[in-house]
Amino acid sequence: MDSVEKSRIFVVIPAFNEESVIQAVINEVRGAGYENIVIVDDGSTDNTFQKARKAGIIALRHKINRGKGAATKTGIEAAKLLGADIIVTMDGDGQHDPENIQKLISPIVDKECDVVLGTRLLDPKGMPWHKIFANKIGNFFTWYLFGLWVTDSQSGFRAYSRHAAQVINTKADRYEYDSQVIREIYIYKLKFKEIPIAVRYTEYSMGKIQKQGIANGFKTLYKMVWSLLF
Amino acid sequence: MKFHIYQIVISAISTVMIYQGIENYIKGRNNPTFLKLLARIIVWGGMALITIFPNISTTVAKTIGIEGNINAVILIGFIFVFLMMFKLLSAIEKLEQQLSEVTRSETLKEIKQK
Repeated sequence: MDSVEKSRIFVVIPAFNEESVIQAVINEVRGAGYENIVIVDDGSTDNTFQKARKAGIIALRHKINRGKGAATKTGIEAAKLLGADIIVTMDGDGQHDPENIQKLISPIVDKECDVVLGTRLLDPKGMPWHKIFANKIGNFFTWYLFGLWVTDSQSGFRAYSRHAAQVINTKADRYEYDSQVIREIYIYKLKFKEIPIAVRYTEYSMGKIQKQGIANGFKTLYKMVWSLLF
Repeated sequence: MKFHIYQIVISAISTVMIYQGIENYIKGRNNPTFLKLLARIIVWGGMALITIFPNISTTVAKTIGIEGNINAVILIGFIFVFLMMFKLLSAIEKLEQQLSEVTRSETLKEIKQK
């Protein structure tokens, strides 16, 4: 950890209508020892942005909703502009435990790889069966279409070296972003590692309507195929 | 040659649509492109031709080797609709990406100005 100062580690959190949990998420990330937090409010209709800004972190706002992928990319671009050496991305609904950030960034600090993918499926304890099933389908299509097998292609809890963040440049805006990143890892031959992460499925995080459902799953698949054709 | 009412109606509509397309193209209204004009002429012109001269579809069917003139018309129609759909979807996708880029650069302005 000594080779990378903590001031050079940025945590990017895309958020859409997370007013009720965003403060707790920020507190947890701070509690884990990370002060550089970039929240990208993706055109929320509630007070997510105001709450994030009040918390004294770097709060950015998309004027209109562009999707989780677009918000994550904006956060990564912001972190790069602010001089980040390592960028961690995590969800804004509190399902990711910031205590796992250390595990995610260690292989990058030790220069073992460029990207670390947090994976829920290496230890799926507590994960609803339908989520496991949907993830396996996502993994299959990601492998089939993009050529790289990973155990959790849809996880948003990831860490990137500065080099990886500069190389990866997907145009995907929505949930297909996570799979497109896998594609770019494969195309640019970036070294990656998968690290098991714990996920907290709460009533809140499971209840959000914009989360990946069956319809969104098909939409994501269609976008993945489309990106290959055009 | 005896004309039925449907032939007169469809021919009239086609003529108006083609006239509007040419007028838009000449006057530069609604972002005209030659491709748009060509598509309009092919769709509406084709429809008018087949309505006025139904035997054309038989010739087309024979030329592409499909049995039955109606099948040939439907097939060509489907192909054309699919091509248009792909073109539209590509345009929408491109617009979506541009919208995200504009939104992003607007969002990052604050950081760049610091």
